[in-house]
Amino acid sequence: MTEAILFSVFSVSAVCFAVNVIFRRNAVHCALHLVGVLLSVSGLFVLLNAQFIAAIQILVYAGAIMVLFLFVVMLLNVKGESPLLTPGAAKGFGFFFAVLAFVELLWIVLSGGGEGAAHPAAALPPGFGSPAEIGRILYSTWLFPFEVTSILLLIAVIGAVVLAKRKFA
Amino acid sequence: MQTIPLAAYQVLAAVLFTIGIVGVLVRRSALVIFMSIELMLNAVNLSFVAFSRQMGQMDGQIFVFFVMSVAAAEVAVGLAILVAIFRSRETANVDDVHLLKG
Repeated sequence: MTEAILFSVFSVSAVCFAVNVIFRRNAVHCALHLVGVLLSVSGLFVLLNAQFIAAIQILVYAGAIMVLFLFVVMLLNVKGESPLLTPGAAKGFGFFFAVLAFVELLWIVLSGGGEGAAHPAAALPPGFGSPAEIGRILYSTWLFPFEVTSILLLIAVIGAVVLAKRKFA
Repeated sequence: MQTIPLAAYQVLAAVLFTIGIVGVLVRRSALVIFMSIELMLNAVNLSFVAFSRQMGQMDGQIFVFFVMSVAAAEVAVGLAILVAIFRSRETANVDDVHLLKG
């Protein structure tokens, strides 16, 4: 019962925040509503026994990435767009294709949703979602992808510095 | 033990993903388009974690970990490009950046 209440609260707030993200005029408001979405989704992660991922979501996403966003928004000092949405036929096409994609996703979900959805939820092994267990899998099965990720982040940092340097090109 | 069905999480993920699609397709500010991409990535992460819970296997959570690091890299490079564009063209509006259109 508590789980159902928490799920409805988090999902409704996530959707409301998300709608605000895309329809607010001020980019700072958009960023702050995105933080709301991220916090709601991290609440859902906790409901799904993914405590470590929920903590990472708040630390990395709502913390680091959104601070980066807010920095750039305030650095660029972008004036409110007018008109807000892209004009003409492109807007209509945008909404049309979004609805099309939604219907498609909904059809996939409601027509079975893949192999795993048919079974009842599996019993959880001890330590499911805990940092210890995540670390054990990450440094054994997924060690190589993990190391490649570090190279990816290094490349991204160098790329960002080169691109944002004042005397660019 | 788990009372919320998997389909509920999937429908929520679909709704969030669709809102992200709308944001990317109809907004003109490149910053808001980036935020919408983050929204879509989060919807996918939610779906990953829901499946991970359903199957009782943690690989989905590891995937979320990787998606987050790729998202961090994408945001760093994307915002740097945005700053560079804003410096040379004084705009963050994607409709005004059409030099390649010919």
